[in-house]
Amino acid sequence: MMIIAIIAGCVLGIIIGFLAPTIPYTVSQYLAIAIVAALDSVFGGIASNIKKNFDMKVFISGFFVNAILAMLLTYLGEKLNVDIYLAAIIVFVGRMFNNLGIIRRYYLSKISERREKAEKKAKNK
Amino acid sequence: MKNKSACISIGIICVVLATAMTIQIRTMQKENSAVSQAFANSELKDSLLEWKEKSDNAEDNLEKSIARLEEVRKASTSNDNSSAEKQEELKKYNQLLGITDVQGEGIVITVTDSAQDNTAMDLNNLIVHDSDLRSLVNELANAGAEAISINDERIVSTTAITCAGNVILINGNKVGSPFEIKAIGNQESLYGAITRAGGYAYALKARSVQVDAKKSNNVEIAKYTGALTQKYMGNNN
Repeated sequence: MMIIAIIAGCVLGIIIGFLAPTIPYTVSQYLAIAIVAALDSVFGGIASNIKKNFDMKVFISGFFVNAILAMLLTYLGEKLNVDIYLAAIIVFVGRMFNNLGIIRRYYLSKISERREKAEKKAKNK
Repeated sequence: MKNKSACISIGIICVVLATAMTIQIRTMQKENSAVSQAFANSELKDSLLEWKEKSDNAEDNLEKSIARLEEVRKASTSNDNSSAEKQEELKKYNQLLGITDVQGEGIVITVTDSAQDNTAMDLNNLIVHDSDLRSLVNELANAGAEAISINDERIVSTTAITCAGNVILINGNKVGSPFEIKAIGNQESLYGAITRAGGYAYALKARSVQVDAKKSNNVEIAKYTGALTQKYMGNNN
């Protein structure tokens, strides 16, 4: 179910992206930060869905607030001549790996559970 | 129910994510394929091309107008003795202004960026700057040059030599290394000014910039192709 939603979303997004006009170069670095924020949100959403504590409000507000804060940091960094956006990227990517770990463990345990069940069934027979 | 809303919202974010990624990748590809510096956006490039075409057209028109003016002048003065004198005078003044092709004895100097690839040296010293060209032009003018051109850009009374990134602008036109500086005047004094010890060319050579001066009995210097305007100045009576 979740996988179908992700794939459908990506396909739709790519089609829209090809139809949309390209953006000026100066804006593209803000878009890049937004992309990383969106990736973080997707991983976070999947992980919380697995943990059964998914909250729509938290998810959506998290995406927007994170993206806007990251863009503001980028802007501030540009003004101060410090690459502050790197800090945002490090935090986002760190969280991505954390969430990926949660997802990975969940599916690994699921697979091993299934295998145990199959073995039990085989023994019972 | 909860799972469904989660799927939908994650799907929506995926749409946003994929859209943004596609746009970003396309933007980056477009930027990389561009010849100019990365921050110059495509709109600027488009307008540059447009203006360039306009300027070329204007130059063509100017050329035609000058040819016509010459014709009219000839026609009006062809059968009159005193006007023939005037005609002669006009020619002389046009020559002095630099709006006619001229030729005569003089020298041809070729100034090229240093061939050295020594990173230990300051790169700024290895290339020819606008200030170098200005100084060379000054030296030539000081030695009595009557007409000077750099890469066929005639030096006239309104000429500016300025730096524009990795090229030099002369009369608003881009020129780049190697620079061929032609000067008409007394051969010996011009050659002496360029080759004398302690002169500016000497200093350039010390920076390992290649300066090559040649005497020539027949230096041809092209005319100034821009327009000499007279909008604010008038006679002081």
